[in-house]
Amino acid sequence: MLLNAVIIVLREALEAGILISVLLTISRQADLSSRWLLIAMAGGLLGAALYAYFLGDISTWFDYVGQEVINAGLQFGLFFSLAGVCVLLSLRPPMVKTRHRQWLTALLAVAVILASIREGSEILVFFIGFLAQSDVFLKAMTSGFIGLMIGVSVGALCYYALMSLPQPVCRRVQLILLVLLAGGMVAQASQLLVQADWLPAAEPLWDSSRWLSESSLFGQLLYATFGYEASPTPVEVALYLAAIVSIPLLLLCVRNLPEK
Amino acid sequence: MRTNRIQQLLCTLALLSGWLGWNNPVTAAPLFTLEIKNHLFYPAELVVPANTKVKLLVINHDPTPEEFESYELNREKVILGNSKAVIFIGPLAPGEYPYFGEFNMSTALGKIIAR
Repeated sequence: MLLNAVIIVLREALEAGILISVLLTISRQADLSSRWLLIAMAGGLLGAALYAYFLGDISTWFDYVGQEVINAGLQFGLFFSLAGVCVLLSLRPPMVKTRHRQWLTALLAVAVILASIREGSEILVFFIGFLAQSDVFLKAMTSGFIGLMIGVSVGALCYYALMSLPQPVCRRVQLILLVLLAGGMVAQASQLLVQADWLPAAEPLWDSSRWLSESSLFGQLLYATFGYEASPTPVEVALYLAAIVSIPLLLLCVRNLPEK
Repeated sequence: MRTNRIQQLLCTLALLSGWLGWNNPVTAAPLFTLEIKNHLFYPAELVVPANTKVKLLVINHDPTPEEFESYELNREKVILGNSKAVIFIGPLAPGEYPYFGEFNMSTALGKIIAR
């Protein structure tokens, strides 16, 4: 077994798995047909394949930082679709109109597509490297499959844990999770833009790696879900805070809208 | 009246962006090169100036892709086979910052030393 392949696939699958499980509970509670998930997963995989195929060209864009810029764009797209999902969930009176339900389906699908492109392309690139070595390719594939299955199991665990909560509590937990996940997207995106020199670089504000290292199991999990960064720069912290404050503010505005 | 206000706003934005260090061509980041051959990084120990933003050019001579990754540097980037990539790092406080190639973790190891 190739431990490396297990870990690489697991990391990406965890990130996507937890996000998708939360979105799936929202879909189930809104009584949406799960067909959107299949279509979005297929679309996401196709997108990931295209992204991996053109990665060579994309990498040369913007003076060799195209990867960072496109990935940050995907993450910002995810932030906006998750923020949109939060708004639709907080509408008063609760969304009943078909139009709202169509919007919710569309936003859920967009979020899954963007997440699959981002996580899927990295897995594909890793396996493309093995294509040339047929002797280890099978080993890498089976190891990757194990990683994928662990990720899917954690996602399923999340799904059933959320579904077992009483509805009002569940809604609150969903909103908190969505805000934290969306904030994590912005944190990762801003880190990528600093790496590309599109955002100002600076010395880290603090270093919490002694308490919680990013390479530890828990640190990895927190990074994958909520964008944990042991030594963030000022611009990353500022954008992260702006992201997690903006959604609750937006929801307050939505709730105070006059009822139609 | 309105044009005045827009001008004021633009001026403030320009000042703010200058203060944040944007559009500052005077301080171009010094360039350092890292090469990947047979899943190894060369040089394995790269010395860069401390407290300075540095432009890292990573050239992958292998036919297989590699991922430059460092928890200490907060950096992660895929470099396809036979291609190159640019990664900006720092400004770093003096010290050692280990990095590794995530696709070949057993061999592709190195560190950046900020002095």
